[in-house]
Amino acid sequence: MTDAVLSAPVATPAPDRERLAAFGFVAPSLLITALVFVLPLALLLGVSVLDPKGGGTSAHYARLLGTPYYLGVIWNSLRLGLLTTLIAFLISYPAAFALARARGPLRSILLATLFLPLAASVIVKAFAWTILLRSDGLINTVLIAAGIIEDPIRMIFTQTALIVGAVNIFLPFMVLPIYAVVAQLDSRYAEAAATLGASPLVVFFRVILPLTLPGIVAGVALVFSLSVSAYVVPTLLIGEKYPTLATTIAKAYLLAREPGFGAAAGVVLLAIAIIVVALSALLSREPK
Amino acid sequence: MSEPAPHLVISAVSKRFGAATVLDRVDLTIRRGELVTLLGPSGCGKTTLLRAIAGLSPPDTGTIALAGRDVTHVPPHRRNVGVVFQSYALFPHLTVAGNVAFGLKVRGAPKAEIDRAVQRALALVKLGHLGGRRISALSGGQQQRVALARAIAVEPDVLLFDEALSALDRKLREEMQIELRRLLQDVKATAIFVTHDQDEALTMSDRVAVMNKGRIEQLAAPRELYARPASLFALNFVGLSTRIAGQVVGGQDGMVDVVTPVGRLSARGAFQLGASVIVATRPEQLRLGADHEANSASGRVRSVVFQGSRTLVDVDAGAGASLLAELSGREAEVPRVHDEVRFAWPAAETFAFAAEASP
Ligand SMILES: Nc1ncnc2c1ncn2[C@@H]1O[C@H](COP(=O)(O)OP(=O)(O)OP(=O)(O)O)[C@@H](O)[C@H]1O
Ligand SMILES: [Mg+2]
Repeated sequence: MTDAVLSAPVATPAPDRERLAAFGFVAPSLLITALVFVLPLALLLGVSVLDPKGGGTSAHYARLLGTPYYLGVIWNSLRLGLLTTLIAFLISYPAAFALARARGPLRSILLATLFLPLAASVIVKAFAWTILLRSDGLINTVLIAAGIIEDPIRMIFTQTALIVGAVNIFLPFMVLPIYAVVAQLDSRYAEAAATLGASPLVVFFRVILPLTLPGIVAGVALVFSLSVSAYVVPTLLIGEKYPTLATTIAKAYLLAREPGFGAAAGVVLLAIAIIVVALSALLSREPK
Repeated sequence: MSEPAPHLVISAVSKRFGAATVLDRVDLTIRRGELVTLLGPSGCGKTTLLRAIAGLSPPDTGTIALAGRDVTHVPPHRRNVGVVFQSYALFPHLTVAGNVAFGLKVRGAPKAEIDRAVQRALALVKLGHLGGRRISALSGGQQQRVALARAIAVEPDVLLFDEALSALDRKLREEMQIELRRLLQDVKATAIFVTHDQDEALTMSDRVAVMNKGRIEQLAAPRELYARPASLFALNFVGLSTRIAGQVVGGQDGMVDVVTPVGRLSARGAFQLGASVIVATRPEQLRLGADHEANSASGRVRSVVFQGSRTLVDVDAGAGASLLAELSGREAEVPRVHDEVRFAWPAAETFAFAAEASP
């Protein structure tokens, strides 16, 4: 292969051969993807539309998309994903700029606070939130001891607790991709725009925002797909009264023994994530 | 014809970064339509002065007036200056035409007018056919032109170039220097170039400001700067020269007599008796042979460098002094290495500078 590339005249590239070589390089990862991703997905899809008594069925999808309860479940997942993503973005975007501007020890400390939580498991972090938010938890204890409140505030098992916890746990996945782009952003772009007559606000919307869009898109895709399908976070922080697609799938497999229905819920969840990720990828495409 | 009114007036502008004084009471007045170069070594404050003019980092003290308006504390987007950055800073998310249109768009110009201005600016830089291209699909030279078109399109009061040509390779850079000068004259632009390339400064500008350590040492037309350097620094920074240290032993009428290791020399300048000076002259002033009316010195030829239209001869004149002579291609006789030679040069083209200003 090397010989062929080296001996090929520079002026006449061999596109077919190059393409073949490129394929050679991706072949192993294609194989692995096929084995651990495509195959299980095909199985999942199959299980969701096959009737164990023979033939095909759309009953599972009909149940999911036709009953108000399950539509509510889908909406719960969507809401969790959208709210978490939106709030995480609003916090992360300015944070990424602060991080990129910070120098010296401050920068190291800020980066460490971002990376270190990634080392702890989601369960540990979600559980930590329950300790903080419980009626006899840290926050209530302190507030009561300080005489600010008399009776504990109900925090755990509320939607607020769910969103706060989810945002906290998934925040690094939003900050890091945005930070990666912001840190590379040349300050000359903003200066050039300003000398061309753009006010700071216009510079932001016409230059900074478009140039950091790839980081935003990556962060949104990551945080949305993580939070829309989160299982541990809603289970520990809100529980039964906020059923999501992820908790429904778990129940279908573990309690109800309805693998077909669980598979269908899995397909719906996957479809939601893929649509959002694809939409955001579309947004970040370069102009022609 | 009357002198055009001052267009850009920089008065006593100073700027410090921490303990370092980067601009030290700089005065500079530029007329409308003038092309001026800030020339100086790295770190002398050229970029800092340019950024002060653009409003990107305002001076600590002093004032800047542009087109009759005090803009010292006006933010960049209300100044109407055009800047061409060394890295071009073209917006990668916009097309070529999108970049050129940017300034007019943010000023809220009507669409038809924007299209016309973009076409005109792109035609000026000969890129009319590339309006739809992505920036990443352009060569370095083309990007340079787009950056220029983008700055010109808004018809700024002054165009600022910070080493705008330095990223281009030598041949393209030399072509662009001449083309850019012609283009700027055609559109009657007022422009300031920043460079540490003396050839670029001499080629591009009506006047050159030689900067050193945050000050302008000399502001003069290229020819005058070369022929009448105001300081040792200006002499050294622009062109080649012969420099010999000596002591003033007499003088009158703006001329001094200086005793040097190569003999007694006359030079322009006014110094007290006994002052330590550097006597200097340009290489093309040196002629082979003795001349009793002029300065002269002899020595052994150290090297002869043939450069096409000219030949540079380096002579060891003894006692650490050396002579640098430039002989034009028409000269019949060119000495060879190790030859003993004598060169003479006119006293009127010899300058004396205070020795302690030596860089
Ligand atoms: N933002 C800044 N903070 C601190 N010091 C600075 C800053 N900008 C410039 N300086 C210092 O000011 C001095 C002049 O810088 P400037 O960029 O104006 O030089 P320059 O003449 O453009 O040099 P070059 O030819 O290398 O571009 C330098 O010593 C530089 O280190
Ligand atoms: Mg500079």
